Amino acid sequence: MSREHETVWEVFARKAYEEPLHHVGTVTEDDEDLALLSARAIYDEQPWIHMILVPRTAIREAIRA
Amino acid sequence: MSATPPAVDAATATMISLIGSLADNKGALGRRYGEWAVSAPTIESAVAAAAMAQDELGHARSTYPVLAKLGVEREDDGLDAGLPMPAIARELPDWASFIAANLVVDGILTTFVATARDSSIEPLAQRARKILQEEGAHRVHAEAWLRRIGRTGGGDVQLLRRRTEEMWSQAARWPGPDDDPGYREAIERRMVSDGPAAIRDRVRRWLEGRLEAEGFTVALDEPVDWSSWDPERRQ
Repeated sequence: MSREHETVWEVFARKAYEEPLHHVGTVTEDDEDLALLSARAIYDEQPWIHMILVPRTAIREAIRA
Repeated sequence: MSATPPAVDAATATMISLIGSLADNKGALGRRYGEWAVSAPTIESAVAAAAMAQDELGHARSTYPVLAKLGVEREDDGLDAGLPMPAIARELPDWASFIAANLVVDGILTTFVATARDSSIEPLAQRARKILQEEGAHRVHAEAWLRRIGRTGGGDVQLLRRRTEEMWSQAARWPGPDDDPGYREAIERRMVSDGPAAIRDRVRRWLEGRLEAEGFTVALDEPVDWSSWDPERRQ
């Protein structure tokens, strides 16, 4: 199954609200619900209290050295 | 192996059958999901399958002790035991079968569990609430894969239709005949809130809605011939 056209989501999470969100990895899924489900299943090694997903295409570069 | 106490009323006997079979089927479903944790179409799906397997095996493990509260002595045979539906008793042949089991078998079992959320059998009610929390993710998985296969179209859709009908032919029988006197008494005594026909109807309406949204239909017939009904196997 070719996945080159699927959406890549960047996954961010934190363990406490006073902490910033950390980048923890990516998931590749076209379906938003499956992406959320996969992220929770894959990145479950830490007791996160907050996790967000951002489609890579939504990211804009402000600086590129 | 389990031994039903010698003299129980019809409602308790029905609940013993339902709870024991629920645990058997959840154990089998967990093993089937787990087998796809190394061979799902994508890494993400494989991890989701592993997580769902873990949930189902946990549900089986926590459900068996409810039988003891109903006076059933059960030897711990591990999870490779019991009398699950034939469709999930052996390795699933393809990913469409996995999704069909996720939609139909998981759907029927979870809808039954929802009818026990406020059960007068308190240990069952406690477990039901925990199971329903975790099953939300299984439903999201099933619906998302249905959409994905629906978009793909062609042979994948035809195979999923066939597998869904196969699963339905067994899973729809699992709650049993609607006029079962033990089941009716169990409802009267608030052990469960709804009967077999209501469970089938709820799952059918949900499934038909989802399938129609993807542009295809599946025959989800109401079982009519109960002459060979075996309440122990629930088939």
